[in-house]
Amino acid sequence: MSDVTGTPVATGTPPTGVRRIRMPQKLRNLEFWLLLVACFINAAAIVLVQLGAMRRIDTQLVLLGAGLSALVFGLHIAMRFVARDADPFLLPIATVLNGLGIAMIYRIDIANGEGGWESAAVRQIAWSAIAIIAAIATILVIRNHRVLFRYTYLAGLVAIVLLLLPLVPGLGREVSGARVWIGFGDIATFQPGEIAKIALAVFFAGYLVRNRDSLSMVGTKFLGMKFPRARDLGPLLVVWALSMSVIVFQRDLGTALLYFGLFLVMLYVATSRISWVVLGLTLFVGGALIASQTLDYVGNRFANWLDPLNPERYEQEFGGSYQLVQGLFGLANGGLIGTGWGQGRPDLTPVPQSDYIIASLGEELGLAGVFAILALYLLFVARGFRIGFAGQDDFGKLLGVGLAFVVALQVFIVVGGVTRVIPLTGLTTPFLAAGGSSLVANWIIVALLLRLSDTVRNHPRLVIDG
Amino acid sequence: MSELTLLVLQLGFLLLLWVFIFAIVYALRSDLFGQRVRKLQSEPASSAPAPAASSFPSSPVTPAPAALGAPVAAPVATSGHDGELASSENATRLVITSGTKAGAEFPLGRDEITIGRSSDSAIIIRDDYTSTHHARIMLWNGRWMIQDLDSTNGTFLNGSRVTVPVPIPLGATVKVGATTFELRR
Repeated sequence: MSDVTGTPVATGTPPTGVRRIRMPQKLRNLEFWLLLVACFINAAAIVLVQLGAMRRIDTQLVLLGAGLSALVFGLHIAMRFVARDADPFLLPIATVLNGLGIAMIYRIDIANGEGGWESAAVRQIAWSAIAIIAAIATILVIRNHRVLFRYTYLAGLVAIVLLLLPLVPGLGREVSGARVWIGFGDIATFQPGEIAKIALAVFFAGYLVRNRDSLSMVGTKFLGMKFPRARDLGPLLVVWALSMSVIVFQRDLGTALLYFGLFLVMLYVATSRISWVVLGLTLFVGGALIASQTLDYVGNRFANWLDPLNPERYEQEFGGSYQLVQGLFGLANGGLIGTGWGQGRPDLTPVPQSDYIIASLGEELGLAGVFAILALYLLFVARGFRIGFAGQDDFGKLLGVGLAFVVALQVFIVVGGVTRVIPLTGLTTPFLAAGGSSLVANWIIVALLLRLSDTVRNHPRLVIDG
Repeated sequence: MSELTLLVLQLGFLLLLWVFIFAIVYALRSDLFGQRVRKLQSEPASSAPAPAASSFPSSPVTPAPAALGAPVAAPVATSGHDGELASSENATRLVITSGTKAGAEFPLGRDEITIGRSSDSAIIIRDDYTSTHHARIMLWNGRWMIQDLDSTNGTFLNGSRVTVPVPIPLGATVKVGATTFELRR
């Protein structure tokens, strides 16, 4: 407790020289009760899966889930000491999403007849544990987010290296066409691009705080908007070239869209100029259209999006619309309240536990369940924007908005792809989908947002009661 | 385990999920609808600051006796400084000159200072005239600027309403709601 830097709200008196008073931890207590409900929801989901699919209760996985709850409470207790004023909603929301994901992966394991320690659900629980420990470490090590500002360019370098890793011969692995994995031995184990998105958010925030004056002050007016000078277009073109090379060399449309969208939004927030968004979207849509004409896999994605129910496309062996249509059938089968945990057939869709987990959940929980999940994401992202908005320094503002937006954009790309709003691209659904790298990255995002919100509330302040 | 039991359990699960979401939304209601406004009339003059508070509805031309000196003194101080602009070099503190906390000081660092009814603000002013996010004071090219964040009742610098971000002279009176303050060395 001795190193807690927090100054409690000094009502009326100037904050300098105020003695620290032990305040009741209202926010942490609220978080505690919400976490209890969250853990109860997760346990109920696993029990309902077992009742629905096997008609009996198996205690082994319930116990593993309880272990996970213990770790979440570990994070909660760590925050009581080092981040007392952090946002109380992020942790319970992330816990529920993570738990729903584990329950659905477990349900698909049962359908595939997999069990024991090698099953995907147990792996997911193990990865969740690693991810939550990483979050605890982040919140213990980074005591002030402004430390990250110092390492702006290092973060940029780390992001580039992580992006290039899968292209290194011998280390990179290709899974279903996309070369975004690294692995040791035979199995693909890690997607470094997921961690790269955090490094990129830090880099963009630091870079834009340092250079935004030249990007926002000068320019010529055209069509009612102020456009930047040609020589200031450099950063935009560099990030555009980076995302295009991800499309061409790693064959991953979703990741490219994620990185470029992140940069565009942070640029817009930093400069408040809509012309950057217009320029950026024109560049990206142009690039994507050219890619759809020249690259087979991108062309296939577009064709499947526009005409999935064509029997020719549906029966095509590679790059057809079978998965997309199966997902849509699954969602339709779910209806309003779903078939019930363990009683649908989400396993008929290819990769139902990772890219298509939202379709699997839609089948078993129905529209009501999918909307609940989207509402949880909405609350999570709204809290992130809110933390960014309340921040007192520009770097913290941009970082908060960037981290929250990267989660929002990823959800949009995945759910939009599955529900045929945009062409389908392979990305993981944050917190839900099976995949260790995605879990670790998103839990670190939670930790960073918690740290940001704690710094925001910990600022010296003066309260004037009318 | 009959189909009906499973259906009931499923409905219960969905209900629980939505109860969780609405519990969070309920806890967040101040985010959605703004901070709660204190009713001045409902609080009788029992506490010490009440006399000053009850005079807020009256126009600032006739302030409460406790705060009388400050607004009058402020223009004098301004002319004394010859309107020298506050910068990161010459201003070190923000001093409340009228209102319930007249005399309180706030240190100026390099970070921006947000003012409003929201508990996220650096200077939290809870009265009827202050908006949730009312104004902010930030350092721009080494100068302290004030920006009004589309507040309902406006922010006033030396009596004139702030519409675009303007630099603050040292000792100039800034008025937010029923509170005035100035930047000093």
